[in-house]
Amino acid sequence: MGETALQRETLLRASKLIKRFGDFTAIDEVNLVLQRGEIHAILGENGAGKSTLMKMLYGVYVPDGGALEMQGKPVTLHPPSRARSQGVGMVFQDFRLVPALTVLENIALSIDRAGFLLNKTKLAQQIADISERYGIAVNPHAYVWELDLGQQQRVEILKALVQGETKLIIFDEPTSVLTPHEVDAFLAMLQRLRADGYGVLLITHKIREVLACADTVTVLRNGKLVYRTSRDQEMTEEMLVSQMIGSAELPRAPERNQVVLVDEVAALEVEQLSINNDHDVTLLTGLNLTIRPGELVGVAGISGNGQKELLETLYGLRKVKSGSIRVAGADVTAGSVATRMERGVVYVTEDPIHESVVPGLSILEHMVLSGMEMSKKGLDVDWSDVRQRFDSLDVVRTLRVAQADRLVETLSGGNVQRMVLARAITRVPKLLLIAYPSRGLDIATTRATQKLLLGLREMGTAILLISEDLTELFEISDRIVVLSNHSLYGPYDPADTDPYQMGHIMLEGDEQA
Amino acid sequence: MRRFWIGLAFVLSPFVLFALFLLSQGANPLESYQAMLRSAFGDWYGIGEVAIKSTPFLLTALAVAIPARAGLINVGGEGQLMIGALLTTWVGVFYLQGVPAWVGVPVLILMGALGGAIWGIVPALLRQYARMNETITTLLLNYVAFFTVGYFVHGPLKDPESFNWPFSPKLDEALRLPTFGSTRVHIGFVLAIVAALVVWFVIFRTRVGFRLRVIGGNAIAALQAGIKVNRMQLLAMVFGGAVAGIAGMIEIAGIEGHLRPMTGFGYGYIGFLAAWMAWNHPLWTIGTAFLLGAISVAGNALEMTSGLPSSSVSILMAFILLTVLAVGRGSKAS
Repeated sequence: MGETALQRETLLRASKLIKRFGDFTAIDEVNLVLQRGEIHAILGENGAGKSTLMKMLYGVYVPDGGALEMQGKPVTLHPPSRARSQGVGMVFQDFRLVPALTVLENIALSIDRAGFLLNKTKLAQQIADISERYGIAVNPHAYVWELDLGQQQRVEILKALVQGETKLIIFDEPTSVLTPHEVDAFLAMLQRLRADGYGVLLITHKIREVLACADTVTVLRNGKLVYRTSRDQEMTEEMLVSQMIGSAELPRAPERNQVVLVDEVAALEVEQLSINNDHDVTLLTGLNLTIRPGELVGVAGISGNGQKELLETLYGLRKVKSGSIRVAGADVTAGSVATRMERGVVYVTEDPIHESVVPGLSILEHMVLSGMEMSKKGLDVDWSDVRQRFDSLDVVRTLRVAQADRLVETLSGGNVQRMVLARAITRVPKLLLIAYPSRGLDIATTRATQKLLLGLREMGTAILLISEDLTELFEISDRIVVLSNHSLYGPYDPADTDPYQMGHIMLEGDEQA
Repeated sequence: MRRFWIGLAFVLSPFVLFALFLLSQGANPLESYQAMLRSAFGDWYGIGEVAIKSTPFLLTALAVAIPARAGLINVGGEGQLMIGALLTTWVGVFYLQGVPAWVGVPVLILMGALGGAIWGIVPALLRQYARMNETITTLLLNYVAFFTVGYFVHGPLKDPESFNWPFSPKLDEALRLPTFGSTRVHIGFVLAIVAALVVWFVIFRTRVGFRLRVIGGNAIAALQAGIKVNRMQLLAMVFGGAVAGIAGMIEIAGIEGHLRPMTGFGYGYIGFLAAWMAWNHPLWTIGTAFLLGAISVAGNALEMTSGLPSSSVSILMAFILLTVLAVGRGSKAS
């Protein structure tokens, strides 16, 4: 498709790229070739080296070995400004935008040869042209803080395309912030870019999207290129997954057993809850939600629709504007975090790296901070006792938490997530408020986590689970609710609905509700 | 090996830079350094002077280090010291004349701590109830403290027999801190070192200290763990202020015997320097305070040998601080 009209020209050739961090080889002699009008997907689990590889191509890291060529000429791409002038653009997963500036101003900032004066009219016209061509409309005069994540991503894409030299665009996990409908639109845009002769590198772990659009697929595992295939050869989901995880046996979704509810009192009862955002504007209003012990309720919704604020409010970190929150029958609306902890409420934040990691403290100290009981010895904590208990915890082994003495600030995102999950699960909470549990985890650990969550549920824990992965929500939730348009829709029974219907409600709300 | 040379270069660089300064002022750096070293460490008298000088630095450094562990920046050691000195003098002069030392001295220590604690709690309350940044408020309160002391020594606390100098009356001899033998070295020095040890123990060997370190490391994580962040920060400021206030008490009861407008002037800032050089580690502050004390004492020698004002050594202190900060940044970046 598209290949006929396009001359096949090699845009980028990377040979035997190597990147080491200390003793650790993150990328080991990886070769990569990208043609004009080619969508090349880079698949791999977290820690496989996808991001490191892309950061070398975008000039963030200097390779420790190997060679790079752009259109046949040897190049260095470090720093990123040089990569950009050589024609490499990148759309990061965590957007690099200034919230206090407008879309137009953010794009103007990114243009390297902008000169002193800002020609807003010309730039606005350029933005309008590109938006129309690729179907990525966004109001250039809106402030970035007003945009949802999907729109912010469009701004990032515009930043890359406005730059006239751009020939190659790297997308880092682009669909993680999109609803199913938006994913379809995004894939259509990629086809358009391909037809216009751009080279696209797509980092992802979502195999269905790869199958839907990629011309070539490279699978990385432990920093090595383990598998490469293209559209004209064999390309199946089973093959790609087994190459990613390095085993033919695919981890299956855990079994969900029916839980017999003994306890009649709801673990969580929310009535007519309203919450304001940080700018004191109404964020969520009129929420009603009941979770019984042994029930797992999944929350779907495009991120930025109040998921974070909802959990923070339920946990007592944020003020309630109106309405009431009852935990196991007791009104905790005005109570502190401590009152909820006493009632067995546990919270796992969506951003553990910033909100859970205390620099200078070890894993053991983090485990005691919340999770493991703080055994006492005089005025101090009995650290040797804590260590013994830590070493004997099953959950620590199941989730492969790093050694007790490691400083948490030195752990990777995935390892921080393992620790945070381990300490939440070891408490056997009455009510678990948990956001994006599988973020940063490989497939096997994700499955293990889901199994642990279902295990808690069978022990009578009520779970409120926020996830961006609709598949995950459908697999493990008893009921699903949707946050959108300042409201909470549902609950829906996963058996009576499908991801597309959920996606529709995520965007438009539910008229029938 | 390369690391060693780089480390050595870092240690030496402030002294090299200061030597360049000395050269530019027409002084011989080698002679000056020799004289400085001799004055600080050449005999027991010099070492004693260093101990005396470093005592308030150590305490005001702890006044920075304790709140810093709870994530607060206390620039108010200066004011906390002054108010501690003021309260000590007031109570000592008006209520403790003729009281035996074993009652009077502990009471005075408490008064110093109380004065400093009051000056520490005000910024903490302003932070909690008015969302005012404690760095700014502690700094501004230093001026308030300075003028408050000025008011008292020119007015209600002025010694009628001082020939119109702005001094308070002298404390009773019984209330002065005991000294070691015939030297000027008083037990305040021991007190300060004990204070540093206690602060270290509490911060690193107790559950309260553990919570404090969590707050300083990541206040959000502390909140999520159910720690009462506001209350702990308030306590940290109270104890920080109290320690600085004790420094004020020691200046009055250990050295000067009466309150002047300039009592303890500048000590709070040098303590801040000592705390930053020690990365707010209570045990390391003993070393940094001692080093800064030695440099201050050596300043007098500089005045005598090269004719430069003794305060020129502030330049050396600044060079050392900049080097420490540069090393810290370097280690963070790597």
